Amino acid sequence: MTDKILGVLRSLHLLSAEQAETIRVYERNKPFSLYYELRTLLSLGVTLLSTGLGLLIYKNIDSLGHGVIVALIALLSAAGFAYAHRQRQPFTWQAARNSASADYALLLGCLTLLTLLGYLQYQYDVFGTRYGLLVLLPTLVFFGCAYRFDHRGVLSMAITGLAAWVGVSIAPVSAFTSNNYALPHLDAVAIVLGLGLAAVGLASERYDRKKHFGYTYLLLGSNLALVALLTTMFRNSFEPGFLPPVLAALLIIGLSAALYWYARRTHSYVFVLLGALYGYIAVTYLYFQLAELDRDFEVTGFVYFPLSTVAVILLLLNLKKIVGSHEQEGV
Amino acid sequence: MSKKAYNEEWIFNRLVQDTARRWGKSGLLTAEQVQAIRPAFPSGFYEPHLFIRIALFIFTWIANITAAGLVFLAVMGIGEYRSGSEEARVLLGCLLCGGGSLLLLERLISTNHLYRSGVDNALLYLGVSYLVVALVISYSLLLPHTVDIDDLQELGLQWPLLVLLAGAMLLAIVRYADPLAAALAFLLYLDIVGVVVLRLPLGKALLPFALMLACAGSYWVLQRLTRRPDYLYYRPAVRTVKALTLACFYLAGNYLMVREGNALLNNQDVSTQIPFAPLFYLFTVGIPLLYLYQGLRRADRLVLYAGLLSLAFSIFTYRFYRSVLPPEWALTLGGVFLIALSGWALRYLRPARHGLTSEPADSPSAFSQLNLESLVMAHVTETTMQPHEPGFQFGGGSSGGGGAEGQY
Repeated sequence: MTDKILGVLRSLHLLSAEQAETIRVYERNKPFSLYYELRTLLSLGVTLLSTGLGLLIYKNIDSLGHGVIVALIALLSAAGFAYAHRQRQPFTWQAARNSASADYALLLGCLTLLTLLGYLQYQYDVFGTRYGLLVLLPTLVFFGCAYRFDHRGVLSMAITGLAAWVGVSIAPVSAFTSNNYALPHLDAVAIVLGLGLAAVGLASERYDRKKHFGYTYLLLGSNLALVALLTTMFRNSFEPGFLPPVLAALLIIGLSAALYWYARRTHSYVFVLLGALYGYIAVTYLYFQLAELDRDFEVTGFVYFPLSTVAVILLLLNLKKIVGSHEQEGV
Repeated sequence: MSKKAYNEEWIFNRLVQDTARRWGKSGLLTAEQVQAIRPAFPSGFYEPHLFIRIALFIFTWIANITAAGLVFLAVMGIGEYRSGSEEARVLLGCLLCGGGSLLLLERLISTNHLYRSGVDNALLYLGVSYLVVALVISYSLLLPHTVDIDDLQELGLQWPLLVLLAGAMLLAIVRYADPLAAALAFLLYLDIVGVVVLRLPLGKALLPFALMLACAGSYWVLQRLTRRPDYLYYRPAVRTVKALTLACFYLAGNYLMVREGNALLNNQDVSTQIPFAPLFYLFTVGIPLLYLYQGLRRADRLVLYAGLLSLAFSIFTYRFYRSVLPPEWALTLGGVFLIALSGWALRYLRPARHGLTSEPADSPSAFSQLNLESLVMAHVTETTMQPHEPGFQFGGGSSGGGGAEGQY
């Protein structure tokens, strides 16, 4: 294939003969890169080792004693934070250039800090019944670390902690599976938190304060808010709740529009997908609410789905004209 | 009308543009040259971002299904109702929907220049599915009424149907070069081999060998296909089938699969030792090593991954029948081994040796561009920071043995 490409380029005089020869030699002698494979094996090894060691400690806890374990974990955590602190870059509202090792050390420090606190609470009951404090404390530390050391992974840990503090699961899959929105006030809390996080994300993009954090805030926040709004919309049409279903539908459409605005600015097309799906469901809901007022609604129902989905497809197909093309690949 | 649905020249132009960009990044071409190459090799395809494709796929799917629902309503409603005519009516509906979908697909590809952009994928899959259902219905209409569709294998009438389906898939592949259709065609091919071999007197004993042979044959055919001038058009499909071929060749010779498959075919509750066991031990150990060696030597990532995955499955196979180490020690030692191996290789292969290197390639894999860290971290953290309910004892979650129960 290389030869064919070189041949065409040569015949169009886009390439000199020496260059073609250099490229041919380069392609023939190019070494086979195992970079990602070896990195993956390395992280797999770390995962296996930490799981295995955890199990070993767990099985031999009688002979080791709790004090030793607490000291070990604390030492590990402190070492992670200390390394990240030594390698720190000056604070900036833009993306900082951290070394990979410092990033991993910070992550290790944060994860072991969680383990340490959980262990202390379980074994020594340090926080007593103030469970909120147990979650809030690491959350605050994580937010601080995320902004100081410019780490998106720690930021998502902090957001997760914040959500846990108010009592909801926020991780994209758990937002569907582990939240029971029928619990009193949980839906309201989830909606407020989700909209709040989405607003922070949009604001950080708009006012250029840690722009690259906007993606994390918006992804976690908007997903939570949309799921909660959707369940509220459907449930509250049977039993009256704090939010009228039509208002919930309108909120979904509004949030979808905001996501679309963000996707346009940053070329993060995952938000187009989220906005299109949730927005479509909300519009469909509103349509059938309107159609219920009319008798002949069954007939329109048959035609509604083909026509409306075709409209969405046309909108998406012409997205490029609306959004404007861009070379940069976003996520 | 051309045999191929998509513009072949544009597919080549895409490749030239990508290669030129890669060479430009490596400093083999000047920036002006890369700039000059782009207009000389235009590609008019509409290829949106992955997430837009997903959205387009979902909405096209809904639109097509609901429209097909209307067609079926019309077909079921027209004329007067006679008993026994349902099958013919469903057949008519399937033909109408399938034909309509494919016609629309052709039109959209030529007017909107779609290339694997979600809409054409959905239309192709649905269109072919309608036609496949139509094919199955016509086949059952051809058979005498006394034959039940579930008894086809005993009567030896299953393989003609499978051959028909595989033929339909092949037609779709020739025109659209679709990877999913290629994968289905390959699985149908293995299915046909299995169905035919199982009807032989020694079929059950021969099945693993027949399947391995079938995979070897398909590998040979694939190698021949890569030498065709229009290989580029079919490259995604060929690579998909190659990955499946490697996987199925290994699985057909894997001890665990053979032993448990044997038990399944003979209706045994507990699997027993199989004949020729040493041969299958050899396959289970040898094939992954062969893949790894070939993958590294020929710089073929697909074969390398097949080797890594099959090696992992071989270890699982061994531990499935023999418990050598308690799991915590196996995990710890395995982890130490992996860290040592990859750490050593990362250092040893920088700079490149034996044609291998541990430095990033000039073309980063698509996977590395996705920022998965945020999502993974959110899920990892959540297992340790469970949301709590009032009156519920916070048990430390699963944090490193902190949630252990029991008395010390």
